[in-house]
Amino acid sequence: MELEEMKRLWGEMAIEMEKQKKLTSSLITKMITQDYHNKINRLLLPETIGSLGCLGSALFILFNFQQLNTWYLSGCGIASAIILFALPILSISAILTMRSVNIAGNTFKQSLLQYSKCKRQFVFKQKASFYLGAILLVVLLPVMSKLIFEKDIFITQRLWLSYAITFTFFYGFARWVFKSYNKKIAAAEGMLKELEG
Amino acid sequence: MDIQAVFIDIIKENEGLILKVVKVYANTKADEQDLYQEIIYQLWKSFPSFRAEAKISTWMYRIALNTSTGYLHKEKRKGSYLPIDGLLINSTLANDNIREEQVAILYGHIRQLNAAEKGIILLYLDDRPYEEIAAITGFTVTNIGTRLGRIKQKIKDQIKK
Repeated sequence: MELEEMKRLWGEMAIEMEKQKKLTSSLITKMITQDYHNKINRLLLPETIGSLGCLGSALFILFNFQQLNTWYLSGCGIASAIILFALPILSISAILTMRSVNIAGNTFKQSLLQYSKCKRQFVFKQKASFYLGAILLVVLLPVMSKLIFEKDIFITQRLWLSYAITFTFFYGFARWVFKSYNKKIAAAEGMLKELEG
Repeated sequence: MDIQAVFIDIIKENEGLILKVVKVYANTKADEQDLYQEIIYQLWKSFPSFRAEAKISTWMYRIALNTSTGYLHKEKRKGSYLPIDGLLINSTLANDNIREEQVAILYGHIRQLNAAEKGIILLYLDDRPYEEIAAITGFTVTNIGTRLGRIKQKIKDQIKK
């Protein structure tokens, strides 16, 4: 199909689209009322619940910190609390970054540039969250075991063996996840290069 | 006439414009409905800042393209649209299989382009003058010409494959 043929077909299609007017006043009114956007905001609920869960767990560790009575449990406790505070900040800032684009004031080129930069930042933040989540898995288990069941699983269980086995699976999974992240970053950078070039 | 009534009239008059943008940027029927409503919502939000000296189509295209680009970058929001089945299904009238096939090929070519190229080719196919394409996209008139040349070559290459 040549470009001129595409243009002719597009023109014919446009005429047919014009004939199919389907929007009614009430439908448009529904679309522009808060109802629709409330639905979108409701989709942020998992992030909000997750963030509250993280903050709750961090506070639980801090309030019971004196029970972590060995150097390694204290170390795990501090690391867990820091990560639990950092994860919600990363998650929410990643979403806000994507929402910061000025749709009304930007030209198409400015939006494309901004979205590509945001996308790159967003994927970096996702990557950081992934690393932190993996570390959290390792450090949180002995802390919660001590605080909830009063057991030091470094002594009572073969924890190191479990870590070694888990790491093997995690490594494979991480490689797969990062391949997808890197693809997204490359696409965003490709677009930036093209627009700035 | 109040602002909402004016806005509704504008949308009704230009619903074809929104549909064209949606068809180029959305890949599934669910995405089409979601993006369609998101564009109308963004147009409404931006309507108070619309300056009458600009052409309404220029302003609408700009918001629609900016919204679509953002939509591509955001995570999927399945199920967030209003149930308005049948609104965006057809881009051709009657049961014309050959036409349907041609339209599918047309969209197939366009969807293989990147987000910037999709916007430019859409405006070109819609017979917008280079000056208007430049005003909507923010690229210079010369740059539009260069980019269109590249897009034409890309499409030719796609056809050869």
